Amino acid sequence: MIGENIYVRGWGAVTTLGWSAAEAARHLIAGMAPPATAGGSSHLTNRALNVFEVPYQGNPLDKAMTMLDSALAEAFRRADLSAEEIAESSVLVGTTGGLFIRNEFEFTEAVRNNPDTQSPAISCRNRGPGEVADLIVSKYGIHGLALTFSMACVSSSHALVVAADLIKRKKIRRAIVVGFEPLLNMTLHGFASLLLFDYERCRPFCATRAGMQIGEGAAVVILEAQKDFPAKYKFTGGYQYNDIKSMTSAGIDGVTVSKVVQQSLGIAQVSADDVVAVKAHGTGTRDNDLSEGRGLVKFFGEKLPPVVSLKGAVGHTLGAAGAVETALWISCSEEGTIPRSFGFSEIDPEIGFAPSQENMEARHGAYLFTYFGFGGTCTSYLIIKE
Amino acid sequence: MNANNKPLTSHSITPVIAASYIGPSLMPNGNALWEEHELPLNADGLVQDIMGQPMRRAGRFIKMVACGGLACLQQVSLDYLKGKKTGIFLATGLGNVDEILPFITEVFKHGGGFPSPNQFANSVSNAAAFVLARICDVTGTVLTISQEELSFESALWLAQTYLESDQIELALVGGCDIFTPTVEEYRARVNLNCGNSRRMPMGEGSSWLLLGRDDERNIGEILAVDFSEKKGLPDENDLADLMQHGNKIRAKNRIVLPGFRTKQTDDGFWRQNGWEIDDYLPCCGIHSTAAAFGLAFALRGKPSSLLLHYNFHASGKQAFVLASTKSL
Repeated sequence: MIGENIYVRGWGAVTTLGWSAAEAARHLIAGMAPPATAGGSSHLTNRALNVFEVPYQGNPLDKAMTMLDSALAEAFRRADLSAEEIAESSVLVGTTGGLFIRNEFEFTEAVRNNPDTQSPAISCRNRGPGEVADLIVSKYGIHGLALTFSMACVSSSHALVVAADLIKRKKIRRAIVVGFEPLLNMTLHGFASLLLFDYERCRPFCATRAGMQIGEGAAVVILEAQKDFPAKYKFTGGYQYNDIKSMTSAGIDGVTVSKVVQQSLGIAQVSADDVVAVKAHGTGTRDNDLSEGRGLVKFFGEKLPPVVSLKGAVGHTLGAAGAVETALWISCSEEGTIPRSFGFSEIDPEIGFAPSQENMEARHGAYLFTYFGFGGTCTSYLIIKE
Repeated sequence: MNANNKPLTSHSITPVIAASYIGPSLMPNGNALWEEHELPLNADGLVQDIMGQPMRRAGRFIKMVACGGLACLQQVSLDYLKGKKTGIFLATGLGNVDEILPFITEVFKHGGGFPSPNQFANSVSNAAAFVLARICDVTGTVLTISQEELSFESALWLAQTYLESDQIELALVGGCDIFTPTVEEYRARVNLNCGNSRRMPMGEGSSWLLLGRDDERNIGEILAVDFSEKKGLPDENDLADLMQHGNKIRAKNRIVLPGFRTKQTDDGFWRQNGWEIDDYLPCCGIHSTAAAFGLAFALRGKPSSLLLHYNFHASGKQAFVLASTKSL
């Protein structure tokens, strides 16, 4: 692909581990990542479904809006963007639920405030996933492209890859890539109905794993071609692929995962030997971890670099996962450390390796990011620390 | 803004190989009377006609996406994509509300309901694109894009950039939004209030274009997709800018296709500039991706024409699509 190098200019994230990516990174590195707990938010209906919740005093709709604002503010501050620079940027959002939280909040409030009347049917008045980008564009007076990817777990990772591609080809100047996913009853009950929910804890790549646990998050990653800002995280090797064999699995033989990783490294012109570590999707479901684990082993063989899943610490933030995990990873790297995986206790013989169990030095080099989502979607990219 | 600080405009001329539309009457590429109060019509007959077999586990949204995409491919041949790098770009303003609503209703049912796993799986935003990709055997770029009433224009812009960069040879680009009761809630979802749209019945549609280079089958071209910050109706300057891309086209007719946010069509301005207005909305009703219907409708039915679709976002942001059709 032609064009310039793309760098991460700024990032920010709000997760269960804190109201900034920097705070979350410090918690991760210190090993302060407690397991998911029963959700305390007023709109959640089933306390048996443990969640990685963002701490907040107030209603869930206000919280969602504050999460979005905080992640944007942190990223803009770190990128040192002027109001004019923000306005000339493009916004690419990855979200599945969008502002569906509004429907759930309004409904549960109506029920709570009218205990003696029969519950009405829930209304669905949100304006689709594009509403989040619209809010950001309107708040910051953004003139650039507004584009929303609503593609389940790869929504914001796909947005990152598309954004980098558009910058490289000079279609857009700068991309504010946003991942946004407040906790929803809809997704919690949805994954529970699919028997993909782990009621105990999230245990990526562990033999005892029984499913995912959901976290909420808002995150922002700002991409730009290197110009006149200090930059050391190069975004490269972006690859997106659609596997049509199964709606729910990337193929447990690992072939698809291996091919996706191969393509990504090929595009980046990085050899397997040069990958310092892998930030795996690692959801904790039987199929995802089997297909991803086998795929990584198939591709890297005995030279498998350390593999880390962040989902044992922050949960699966669904469409926001790409932006959330990129922002947290880079913040950890800024602290000089790549964190260990959480929630693991026993090697799965079908996978054959343990995810990284110790923090490691965040040395210069290539870090591989992988995401495999519902509907056969696969994303992979590299971030090279220079 | 692009890298050169210019408004977002796609200049690459993109040939259209096929176009197809399905509106609320569920008649592929045909018009039939329909009434808002009778919506939504059962889509099973449509599925049988287009797919040749039922889709028992899918809801209306997935059925409409699959039928719309396939109806477009049937204009050429179902094997047409074989061996070609193809991208699927599904635009939807609202997604699969049809399955989300009953699912969430079960979740919130007093005393505990029975949320269906199949319904949840179908409600996931990109399930419909997956089904279409599987039917078409497309494994490369498959994107589900949403940007309210500019979803289709955004997807078309993105598809053009992919074609331009040779990442793909063909792009199947479509817009699908379906009617989900009630009318009042549907209008709220499409953000219709305070007189920010024309007064028209609500509708639905699944309308698709197959883009790519094929001189033998080319039915027209997408000349430009343009997003502008300027608010209000287009003026002489807007027209002059757009016509940079259309002036070389020899067309018998110049046709304006106004989108649903255009409160007034300013007939005098357009006529004065040599354009006639063709209102496609009575054929499909208001839905977030009605632009796809309007363009597919005109690309099929208006030969030797220069076509200009324009619509606004509720915030006032304009979106133009300039296209042309071949002579018969």
